[in-house]
Amino acid sequence: MNTSTRQYGDLATQLIQESRRSTATDTLLKYNDVLVRTIVREQRQLESLIQSALSNQDGLDPGNDPMTPTVLLYQTAILRNKRCLLAYHHHRIERLKDLYWSVGGALPLLLSTHATAPSNAANMGADATSAPADIRSKLSPHEVDFLRSYNASLLTFRSGVLATEEVDLFAPILKPPKDLHVLVRVVLDCGVIQTEVGAIDFRRGQRFMVRRADVEHLIVQGYLEEV
Amino acid sequence: MSFDWNEDDEDFFAGASFKPRTIEEDFAIPDDFANLGGAAIIPQDVVEETPFQQLIRHWMNERHAPDILPAQEMLLGRLLDHIRKQTDDVQLLRADPDSSEEEHFRITLVQTEIERVKFVIRSYIRTRLHKVEKFARHISATPELHDRLSKAELDHAKRYARLEETHYTSAVLQGLPPDQQSLDDNIAFMPPMVTAPSKTRAVFAHARQDCPPVRLPDGSTLEMTKGQISLTPYHVVEQLLAREEVELV
Repeated sequence: MNTSTRQYGDLATQLIQESRRSTATDTLLKYNDVLVRTIVREQRQLESLIQSALSNQDGLDPGNDPMTPTVLLYQTAILRNKRCLLAYHHHRIERLKDLYWSVGGALPLLLSTHATAPSNAANMGADATSAPADIRSKLSPHEVDFLRSYNASLLTFRSGVLATEEVDLFAPILKPPKDLHVLVRVVLDCGVIQTEVGAIDFRRGQRFMVRRADVEHLIVQGYLEEV
Repeated sequence: MSFDWNEDDEDFFAGASFKPRTIEEDFAIPDDFANLGGAAIIPQDVVEETPFQQLIRHWMNERHAPDILPAQEMLLGRLLDHIRKQTDDVQLLRADPDSSEEEHFRITLVQTEIERVKFVIRSYIRTRLHKVEKFARHISATPELHDRLSKAELDHAKRYARLEETHYTSAVLQGLPPDQQSLDDNIAFMPPMVTAPSKTRAVFAHARQDCPPVRLPDGSTLEMTKGQISLTPYHVVEQLLAREEVELV
């Protein structure tokens, strides 16, 4: 563990670097279970070191005790590792939330193992953030649980807010709408959708001029493409 | 879409047409949002703010303030009621076979404006939601903040705080020795673990009226006259903002 090439905290630094890389390249990296476990092990080791150091200390004035610097060093390493671990997980949660919102809160789409719409959405380029293929495999089980609960909480929130019936909370807020209608090309069959002019059966390759509000969610999820 | 509140339903049903003023008085959202500040800070001594203008102001305040501001539930409710009414009226007019080409054009304008108002409402709610989540643990630990949130927001904050803690516990903390499991360590020289709004962040405040003097961090005082724009730390203008004497731009 404590060889000349490695010191306490190195592993945590790796973890943080992964978060930074994730931000820099705007991708979700695979959950690094191995590294997290290793750091947790390091934490336990440090804890036992600190305990044995403290037990040697018996009753001396902390100011004069030769063990005090040792204890401080371990303590600092422990705190730093813990912060790094939490920061890593927090960073991932924030990324997942971004992804969740970028597909308009369509959790099943996000978690689907078979990359149906997402793979095409990625090719579209226009909205590359919308669900890169196979997110599920990059998540830890805890993160899947988190997303599910988050989704549930938001749905409760939505039914509690006044705005629900009239305003779609999950619609994008990047650009204000300029036109009422939008010309779309169908990228993926999405079945019969109710619009203001009646039901339309969206088939791949077709083009439609439809009311934006009616199909906004389909555009976000990558079924339709704005022309 | 008009937010002239004096307009009553009879106008729509009796004439089956929009008065021209419905569109002219319209407060459109500028296409270019960078200019929005410019549009909203036009002195409005003569005209009283329409609810939509109020919403725009609160929306901008919310987006610029580091802290979460009081929820504008009444205002939102009124706007939503109005949207609902307008939508119904539009439906009615569209169904009317007698409406002329020109009226159809107006209907389209009104519909577009409805969409744009909805956009602002959505953005406003989402901005608040973002803050609620960011400060979830701070909010649930600070009862004074609870009054500023709507019930739905507060519930979501509590749920989210719990969710976050559960996630950290199951993913990391439960693997650590018992002494290291707390989530709110308060250690000297380390930032606190509960994210709280940074009230020292700089904001641009635009005085909507002459303001009483406020104390700056260096001890001097700042007295803003109407129309003046100052760059100050947020906590300096916090009270002025609460009394709606300034707006953030």
